[in-house]
Amino acid sequence: MNQTPPSVFEPATKTVSPFSLRRVMVIASSSVTQLVRMKTFYFLLAFAAIIVVLMSLNPPTTPAGVLSTIKRISFGTMDVFAWLFAIVSTALLIPKDIEDRTLYTILSKPVRRIEYLIGKLLGVLWVIAISLLVMYAVCALALWSRETLYIAEELEAMNADARYSAENVGAQIALIEQQGLRPELGIAVLGSFLKAAVVASVTIFLSTFASSSLFSIIISVLVFIIGHAHTMATSFWLYQTDNSLFVQLLLKVVKIFIPNFQLYSFSHGIIQGEAVAYSLVWQMTGLTGVYLVVFLFLSLLVFIDKEF
Amino acid sequence: MSDLAVEVKNMTKVFSRGLKKSDYVVAVDNLSFDIKPGEVYGLIGPNGSGKSTTMKVVLGLMSPTKGDVKVFGYDSGDIRARNEIGFLPENPYFYKHLTGKETLKFYGKLCGFRGRELQDRIAELLELVDLESAANRRLGGYSKGMLQRIGLAQALIQRPRLVILDEPTAGVDPLGSRQIRDLILKLKDDGITVFLCSHLLEQVQEVCDRVGIIFEGRMRREGPLEELIQIEEQTAMTFSGAKPELLAKVRELIEADSGATIVEEGHPKTTLERLFVSLSHASNTDDKGDEK
Repeated sequence: MNQTPPSVFEPATKTVSPFSLRRVMVIASSSVTQLVRMKTFYFLLAFAAIIVVLMSLNPPTTPAGVLSTIKRISFGTMDVFAWLFAIVSTALLIPKDIEDRTLYTILSKPVRRIEYLIGKLLGVLWVIAISLLVMYAVCALALWSRETLYIAEELEAMNADARYSAENVGAQIALIEQQGLRPELGIAVLGSFLKAAVVASVTIFLSTFASSSLFSIIISVLVFIIGHAHTMATSFWLYQTDNSLFVQLLLKVVKIFIPNFQLYSFSHGIIQGEAVAYSLVWQMTGLTGVYLVVFLFLSLLVFIDKEF
Repeated sequence: MSDLAVEVKNMTKVFSRGLKKSDYVVAVDNLSFDIKPGEVYGLIGPNGSGKSTTMKVVLGLMSPTKGDVKVFGYDSGDIRARNEIGFLPENPYFYKHLTGKETLKFYGKLCGFRGRELQDRIAELLELVDLESAANRRLGGYSKGMLQRIGLAQALIQRPRLVILDEPTAGVDPLGSRQIRDLILKLKDDGITVFLCSHLLEQVQEVCDRVGIIFEGRMRREGPLEELIQIEEQTAMTFSGAKPELLAKVRELIEADSGATIVEEGHPKTTLERLFVSLSHASNTDDKGDEK
């Protein structure tokens, strides 16, 4: 027997889950598309240009010095990109949805506000992660090619000279390798990513009540800068008792409400060739998770009753 | 479970305008109405009368200061209520960087559709709103009418039981307006409940079963359309092929009655919209004939 096909309008009888990771991922991937179509990846071209310029320079220094310079500049650029992108893109996405009223149509579907917030944050972090990986790959290629070239040149020069023993050659090669491509550099990239994730969560919180993107950007940059003065604030708080009430209050605010971005400076040591304890990496990842949960919770407190 | 599609009971919405408690505005004042399943309900009123606020509360975008608002028995803020609602906003509030197809895919996925089911749903809705040829164009390049049509497809993506339309034909040309009106009537035929907010009274009159007239946040009149618009003490008769002699006799009969008077006499008129649509159709038929 032939069955009549359902009408285009026939109502569905679907159930709705209280929280859906799938909906979060739909919003996240839509944010990625939005950021990609806003041509944010053009920044990668600028980064590639920086690497090309660095590679073409031949400063009058040792091979290890050249490799160290390439690392410092390229990883510094990656770090600046990550936190700046986190602030600007997060500050643009939510206010733009409110301003364009796209949020009306999204929230009138079975979407929870927390799903929307997490989705937006994940979208930004997704783009940052992809960008950092691409930049790291470009940087790693540049470092590896230079390192290989320098080692070959040093070996050739030192082996040709009878003054150098095998130990001398080994020490020189080790010096170059210390400043070359090492697996620990990946942890430095992770450090930049974790820092950007915290900045993005702060910005998302500010975006939930800010009247404009510019306000969110300015305050987020301020929080980021102040967050680097955390150790100073802590030492003042602990050891100075003769400050005015205002200073005391300000220090407490910094200590309690502003994330400690100084903790993420462990990546600087890695870039300079120092070793890093993996336990520290786990601790920082955990701390980042705590910051994300706290700022998402604060964002939700503001956003859940926000009327559009 | 409630047997009503929408139930608004003593709903009041107050907006504060400043930090002082006394500085507030009452947008909606003790509003009550309900919409039965399968009904087309029109809420009309001037700008600032509280239509949009009422609609936003029903959509769960705002919560009422007082009173209850339920959609198919669920509180309007409940996510399950929103699963039953399809919403077409007045202006096309969509991502302009997405194509028509991507837009439907995005909203469909948000509603839990995926795979073949989603693809088929997108295809049938694009066909329904006649946007198959523009499916892969970005919304930034769509006309107002096309945006309204993709908006309607978006509203229907999860097969909602209630469709809320906010000024669905605002800024749309008469042909597009006609298409949207026909779609509303199709929704009605298929048993979908429609909640329509509009300034265009003629459109409301054409499609609505019941109408509420809201002014300064209060419901002034509400009821079945036919009851609201009929003039009790007058009767209209339309003749076809009546000769002047017959009309003269009718006039004589009425004038002979002491209590009756002829209020108006003349030829019935079509609307400008109907004239425009019929001329457009005639022009299209002529063009096709010329091509042959």
